[in-house]
Amino acid sequence: MIRKATLKRLVIAGSLLLFVLAAAPVYAATPLETVRTEVNKVLEVLRNKSLKEEAKREKLRLIYSEMFDQEELSRWSLGRNWNALSEAQRKEFLPLFQQVLEKAYGDKILAYSDEKIVFDKEVPIAKSRVEVQTRAITKSKEIPIFYRVVQEKDGTWKVYDVVVENVSLVMNYRSQFNDILAKNSPEELLQILRKKVKDQKS
Amino acid sequence: MKFISPALVLCAAVIVSCAHGPQSASTPILPGEAASSATVAVASYSLEPQTAPLQIAQSEASPPATQSEPTGKTSGDEGDVDYGMDISAAEKVTIDDPWEPFNRAMFTFNDRLYFWFLKPVAQGYSVVVPEPARVSVSNFFSNLRAPIRFVNCILQANFIGAATELFRFMINSSIGLAGLFDPAGSEEINLVRQDEDFGQTLGVYGAGPGFYIVWPILGPSSPRDTVGMVGDFFAYPISYLDPWYAWLAVRGYQMVNDTSLSIGDYEAIKEAAIDPYASVRNAYAQYRQKKVEEKGATTRRPGPDIPGAGTPARGIGP
Repeated sequence: MIRKATLKRLVIAGSLLLFVLAAAPVYAATPLETVRTEVNKVLEVLRNKSLKEEAKREKLRLIYSEMFDQEELSRWSLGRNWNALSEAQRKEFLPLFQQVLEKAYGDKILAYSDEKIVFDKEVPIAKSRVEVQTRAITKSKEIPIFYRVVQEKDGTWKVYDVVVENVSLVMNYRSQFNDILAKNSPEELLQILRKKVKDQKS
Repeated sequence: MKFISPALVLCAAVIVSCAHGPQSASTPILPGEAASSATVAVASYSLEPQTAPLQIAQSEASPPATQSEPTGKTSGDEGDVDYGMDISAAEKVTIDDPWEPFNRAMFTFNDRLYFWFLKPVAQGYSVVVPEPARVSVSNFFSNLRAPIRFVNCILQANFIGAATELFRFMINSSIGLAGLFDPAGSEEINLVRQDEDFGQTLGVYGAGPGFYIVWPILGPSSPRDTVGMVGDFFAYPISYLDPWYAWLAVRGYQMVNDTSLSIGDYEAIKEAAIDPYASVRNAYAQYRQKKVEEKGATTRRPGPDIPGAGTPARGIGP
């Protein structure tokens, strides 16, 4: 008798499991879940004391490419000027810009010390665009950090802008690129970026 | 004369925080802000361009295209994406900069001041004084600035905000041991600081920032916010310390203490920037603009209302 009941339960559990497994691939994570997953991955790397700095950077790089849409981010940063760049220039721009970001924010992120991240909510911005609002809580203050994500063709969400304390990263870069491109050619902009990357390395 | 020298000192003190970038010198980040900005963000997206800030120039540097930002796709390969157009005009904040040569000189001055003086001093100080103590010092000064926030909430007809500040002051001055701690801001009590200053009040009443100014020591500002700083000066009890050098010393100390809690912020901004001056200028414009829009911010932390299906209301990262 007991065995029968156990069996029944097993069957139910089994079919439930099957159901869940079958449903999983169809289920697309919401923007907030996506951001939370990626941010938690970052925190995991940062908390891993056994990793050396270079190894951490390498892992963060992987997470970045998974989490961010570098092309979308670049387009937003260039705004209208995106069209001024040739196909080849755009190809060079993407990794250069990524390296600038990586170096600048990598140091800051690696200096992380036990901040708590709270994931508050998502706010729709436009079609296929959502802002995921989070806060980093340090010992002395709370810093609002909003991730703006866009839905990719495959249904996943990728970050294209980070708004820290109400300052949008892409809009900030756009103002700088606009200034530069008002007086310089796209080629000269690339030149400036190349130099920046080189200086950062040294 | 008596007034002038304190004013200069004040500026210096304020600059401390300003030197780090957008966040205004005297006010560290406000916990409640996240909530308010959330609301604002939603609002601003749905706003028509007419709400574009009065005095804020929509000068996206390249002259010809400025007014005529294409309304459709800008190029064939972009699908339905229209970069920058689905963001409200208010998002594209820029600020006029007729004083650029002066400002750039002052920017360099403040930069040197930070790296050659302020930062080393703050670093030395943080070796001697442990972080919790420095946080408490920061809380203490923040509590003393309550009158500034209270008055400006009233001026902006934000009476809930004013009441919040009043209760915060009473709780933090007593239970919080003269403001050394911030029990009012804890999750349980949840009275979040209302970061309002006089510059924002002027903005709420329609004053645009005017143009960009970088003051020595005080950092990024504008005519509006400069007037605001003077207003805040009179609402800050420390300003009334008697011999003016006592005031100067206290403000200087406050600056060093605040700096010690944010070492690395300015460095990161600078490192990330292609043109640090232009980056800070834009960050300042965006930051102040949002601050003004946030008027009457809710006093609650962002609540658990998530439009997305099935997502847990709020997640707390490990």
